[in-house]
Amino acid sequence: MTTADVYLQQCINGLSLGAMYALLALGFTLVYGILELINFAHFNVFMVGSFVGLGTLSLFGVVPGAASLSGFMLAAVLLGTLLVTMVTSGALGVAIERIALRPLRDVRGPAAMITTIGVSYVLFNLVLLVLGADSKNFPTPLPSVSFAIGGAVLRLREILIWAVSLVLMGLLTWFVQFTRMGRAMRATAQDPEAARMMGVEVDRVIIMAFFLGSALAGAGGLMFGLYYNFTSYIIGFTAGLRAFTAAVLGGIGNVPGAMLGGLIIGLVEAMGGQLISASWADVIIFSILVLVLVFRPSGLLGRVAPNKS
Amino acid sequence: MKSRRRVLLAASALAGLLLARPGLAADQVVKIGIDASLTGGDAQSALLVKNGAVMAIDEANAKHEVPGVKFEAMVLDDGTATAGQYDPAQGAINARKMVADRAVVGAVGPQMSGVGKAMAPILSWGDLAIITPSSTNPDLTDPKFAQQYRPAGKPIYFRTVATDAYQGPNMANYYADTLKVKTLYILDDTGAYGEGLSNAFQAQAEKKGVKILGHDKIDPKAADYAAVLTKIKQLNPDGLYYGGVMQAGVKLVKQAYEILPHSMPKGGGDGLITPEMLTAAGFPAAEGWYCTNASPHVTEDPAAQAWVTAYKAKFNVLPDDYAITSYDASLVIIDAVKTVAATGKKVTRDAVRDAIQAGKVKTLQGVVSFDANGDIEDRVISIFQVHYDKAFPQDDMIHQFKYVGVAPQS
Amino acid sequence: MKGLFARPAARRAGLALLILGLLAFPYAEGNDADIDSMANAACYAALALGLNIVVGFAGLLDLGYAAFFAIGAYFYGVFTAFQVMPHWSSFWQPFAMLHLVEKLNQGSGDVVHFTLSFWLALPLAALVAAGCGVLFGAPTLRLRGDYLAIVTLGFGEIVPIVARNTPSVTNGAAGLNGVQAPSLFGYNFNVQAIPYYYVGLALVALLMFVSIRLRDSRIGRAWMAIREDETAASAMGVDRTRLKLLAFAIGAAFAGASGVFYIAKLQTATPDMFGFPVSVMILVMVVLGGMGSVWGVVVGAVLLTLLQSWFLPDLTDWTHALGEQIGSQWLQQIDFARSTELIFGVLLVLMMLFRRDGLIPAARGSAALSFEQQNVAGVQRGGFASTEAAEVLGFAAPGVGNLLEVRGVTVRFGGLTALNKVDLVVPAGGVVAVIGPNGSGKSTLFNVITGLVAAESGSIRFNGAEILGLPPHTILARGLARTFQNIRLFANLPVLDNILIGQHARLRTGPIGAVLRGPGTRGEERAALLRARGIAGLFGNRLTPRLQQTVSHLSYANRRRVEIARALASRPRLLLLDEPTAGMNPAETLELAEQIRSLHKLGLTVLLIEHKLDVVTQLADTVVVLDHGDKLAEGRPDEVRRNEEVLRAYLGRAAREALDAA
Repeated sequence: MTTADVYLQQCINGLSLGAMYALLALGFTLVYGILELINFAHFNVFMVGSFVGLGTLSLFGVVPGAASLSGFMLAAVLLGTLLVTMVTSGALGVAIERIALRPLRDVRGPAAMITTIGVSYVLFNLVLLVLGADSKNFPTPLPSVSFAIGGAVLRLREILIWAVSLVLMGLLTWFVQFTRMGRAMRATAQDPEAARMMGVEVDRVIIMAFFLGSALAGAGGLMFGLYYNFTSYIIGFTAGLRAFTAAVLGGIGNVPGAMLGGLIIGLVEAMGGQLISASWADVIIFSILVLVLVFRPSGLLGRVAPNKS
Repeated sequence: MKSRRRVLLAASALAGLLLARPGLAADQVVKIGIDASLTGGDAQSALLVKNGAVMAIDEANAKHEVPGVKFEAMVLDDGTATAGQYDPAQGAINARKMVADRAVVGAVGPQMSGVGKAMAPILSWGDLAIITPSSTNPDLTDPKFAQQYRPAGKPIYFRTVATDAYQGPNMANYYADTLKVKTLYILDDTGAYGEGLSNAFQAQAEKKGVKILGHDKIDPKAADYAAVLTKIKQLNPDGLYYGGVMQAGVKLVKQAYEILPHSMPKGGGDGLITPEMLTAAGFPAAEGWYCTNASPHVTEDPAAQAWVTAYKAKFNVLPDDYAITSYDASLVIIDAVKTVAATGKKVTRDAVRDAIQAGKVKTLQGVVSFDANGDIEDRVISIFQVHYDKAFPQDDMIHQFKYVGVAPQS
Repeated sequence: MKGLFARPAARRAGLALLILGLLAFPYAEGNDADIDSMANAACYAALALGLNIVVGFAGLLDLGYAAFFAIGAYFYGVFTAFQVMPHWSSFWQPFAMLHLVEKLNQGSGDVVHFTLSFWLALPLAALVAAGCGVLFGAPTLRLRGDYLAIVTLGFGEIVPIVARNTPSVTNGAAGLNGVQAPSLFGYNFNVQAIPYYYVGLALVALLMFVSIRLRDSRIGRAWMAIREDETAASAMGVDRTRLKLLAFAIGAAFAGASGVFYIAKLQTATPDMFGFPVSVMILVMVVLGGMGSVWGVVVGAVLLTLLQSWFLPDLTDWTHALGEQIGSQWLQQIDFARSTELIFGVLLVLMMLFRRDGLIPAARGSAALSFEQQNVAGVQRGGFASTEAAEVLGFAAPGVGNLLEVRGVTVRFGGLTALNKVDLVVPAGGVVAVIGPNGSGKSTLFNVITGLVAAESGSIRFNGAEILGLPPHTILARGLARTFQNIRLFANLPVLDNILIGQHARLRTGPIGAVLRGPGTRGEERAALLRARGIAGLFGNRLTPRLQQTVSHLSYANRRRVEIARALASRPRLLLLDEPTAGMNPAETLELAEQIRSLHKLGLTVLLIEHKLDVVTQLADTVVVLDHGDKLAEGRPDEVRRNEEVLRAYLGRAAREALDAA
């Protein structure tokens, strides 16, 4: 491999990683934008999503060792699994909101955030106790196809993860910009009181935010499984933390910001691994976060809002 | 707290009165402590270790191995939710629990060297021998640190597993002598085991004149090692060595298969000899990986096979390597108690410790005996290579890890 | 129970009993393991106390607190373990004489072995951790709460990674070897549980003492003000950056000292001991016990630690024993130890849903007022015109010339011009009113004068000196105090504390003084208390009987009064009142107007925003009219009332007709 090939390959690696972080970061951003709440449960909704994906795939007959699919069957199985995973994860998110967070909606301080930490612990340990601690092989219906670009290799799974992320982000952007519900969400994000007075049903907006955010986390979980061919109860924390960092980096509450942040973190992780050392990845990522926040407290794409006083 | 224990006793006594069953003649109860990280990240392997130790105790009781003695397991958990995994502070508390109970004459555990370092001085002052099935950090038995880890004098920390100081170097010899590797890249999983193993491997490899192109750490909680693997692909070493356990191992094996040339020799230590290597990492990714085991090759012998079947039947889960070493550790303690009891002496900690030190015990991994520091004397390192044999189930540990031979001693 | 412990004598007796019990515990309980568990619990209690200062007192969410625990631990570990051992040279001779190092020969030449004393390490590690806290906090504490949470989380991740990646210093993941056990007067603690238990007990007692002293001081009040309302706190003279840093540093110091204690007891340390779960668990201890409650967090920490090392293992044994007796296989299979984290997760959610204030809430509830209390000492008619009032308030003479000069101030938010080259002059001893329709820039004018909003251009001189660009707390210290249109009190604090916080800039007590509480501090505190009571007393029975009540329980009008009392407590030369009579009934409005007038008579210069024109006419010498950020008119009240432009813009035709009729 020439040096240029290596960097191209690391770019491909980083962008794939970034696409997944971006999917997760969108969920953080949606909920944060509307409730100003850091949702730690999101970490493990992502993890549960990957297990739901695993279960759904096996229902479709895709198990380890099964032959890969192609053409229409492949598309149908992937789409079906994606839908089931997203709806289930979305429902989980809504359930968390209804049971654990709604009673705390008007409580000041960190109570709601601490509750999400509790919920995260519960999800994590339930999966651990029921399914065990060993990593699970995640079957893939994808045929093993790859393209050589110079010395770098682009595989079908990378194309899939980019395509799914781009399409979902596009749909989300369209939803937020152009639908009635999306407008209501933006209004609530800006000023919940005013939105309520203008007839926006804030409860529905919040449920929608949790549903969409969690569904995207579920999609991220499925993509994780298909991309890495494994899942485990433990995958939520590191991915979730980096995704959250991505959301803050891009400007939390800002949908394009979450995407940009995700891609940057993915690229930094890949390039950091190449140029410095994989063991310092977290240190590099958090140092960048601190620097960005110190010099641009509202993130890269965040609006510099006047003090809400 | 005494009152707490009293409530407990009263409650079980009450239950006993209600449902009295005829008891056996009063045997002397001898307790064997078992310390494992049952809470948190290592829960699964801890369970296998605990099962192994318990199994030996149950068998000894069923066979009346030592006449007049009834063995009892005192299972303690050194994992806490506070640490989210093994917690040396809880290990220290457990060591004190064992020391405080005079019926405890020996112990199996701990899994982690970090816990061992907190437990050893307490056990030393309490004169209680412990046999670890899996903590391989050499410091614990290094005479240099005798003042720290056996302040009362005699060794009390024994191992039924070879330390990193043997497993790594012997494998390095194999890489250099047999596989003819000239350049190497080394990875470890930041854990005490992985780091110790890979450092020992690296030191010997360098001594053998192998050029180390890099030694990097991979975060076991992260998912993506593509960056470091791409870097390795670019450097194109003759071989890859990984020190660590399966948490990072599963992902590494899978992604290395995608990125690195399939012909590049890849290997690791006993951390890779687990069912997860076969099921979660799976085939074809795991195909061709070398692994070492810090004991002579035994599992294909019928006795060992029967044992694996019995373990599976009893606990409904397949044992791993450390289930075997912890079973062996239990056997050693039971044998020591038997030796002491046979001489007619009182079964005391001190006597049991001396019997462990002096004993030669037939176990699953062969005859176990210890050197003056508590390390296992038999330092045979067996090498295996993963090779899929369709005639056997995919998770069959005995047939999917092909025995290659003994790693050359330095 | 509350009633019982409300009596100081009973409380003192209870405390003495508790201390005796704790001191006797190791002798009543012979089992070293249980004593060690208690020592462990003490360490977590110390950590919880530290985090309580950061989260409970100052309201800064720190999700990486274990980092400071690690820094303290490794500080002691590295300077006593057999890890960093440079070659011996004569350079080390003086250190050897101080018993900080010793010469060691391990076969390959003489090397240095650090032997820092445990007792010296405790304060040193606290200092080092505090220093790291300041270094890390200085750039990040300006961030909003949630951002701070994520940045601290990152810091908490980084520190163990650094420890893991620098094996030459920390021995990496394998853990330090031979961390030195403390010794006292030649008595080596070794691995005995009892001496560590007593050291832990003493550490917790000391940190509780420090926490309580800080809480009940000028510093503690300022922290709580920041927690309740950062903007209002800084407008009341609290230097928030400095105090947040102080909270962060003190919290870190507690963790640093705890780290030394923890690993001296364990005699080893691995990076895994200081991960994210530890930070979360300490936070859970604080939340469970009651944020801001010193006794609460200690109870929370002890409960959670003992729950893990005592109760859950026994519960498993107990269930198994029961299962064996009744022959139930299922009961014998249950293992609670593996469910510890699950149980914690559920506990955390339930606590948040049903008992957010924790086991021992910090806020002291107060009894409802009796009929007599509500009616003591009627309100004085005619405001605060007495000599006692003059003495309590202690205003300086108003002086001559212009006290406040605003020249050409422009403020823009994005594309919106909130103030456009506004000029305003307040003569010393005058009363100036600002009127204008909603959104005309009145409150922005107040915000820019008090430093809460930055101006694009212009100049603001107070008493001849430029104040534009100064931080709010400095502006207050110069003598400008304000109230807010939408009342910004420290809602969960009692009335008395709110007024005391108003005096923040006029008091001197620092953190050390607060802890030592020498005669100077005690005198200052006594005087401040007296003055706060005096100021509350000016409002007669409105506030005096309610001094211990939480502000959020007060009526609207009383809250306005507290806010004015708080502003007066800062001994201002210029008082800015933003719609002081909003929401008051006519009688209350009249009462307040009289009070404002009397303040003016006592030498206070007043600038007020007011909608009620009769109040304006009654009080003001000069009226300034703002509209859409422009100054529309200025003059005596009767002049402005006749100004056509003002009437058109501000009052509308209906009001004009009403005025004409009047």
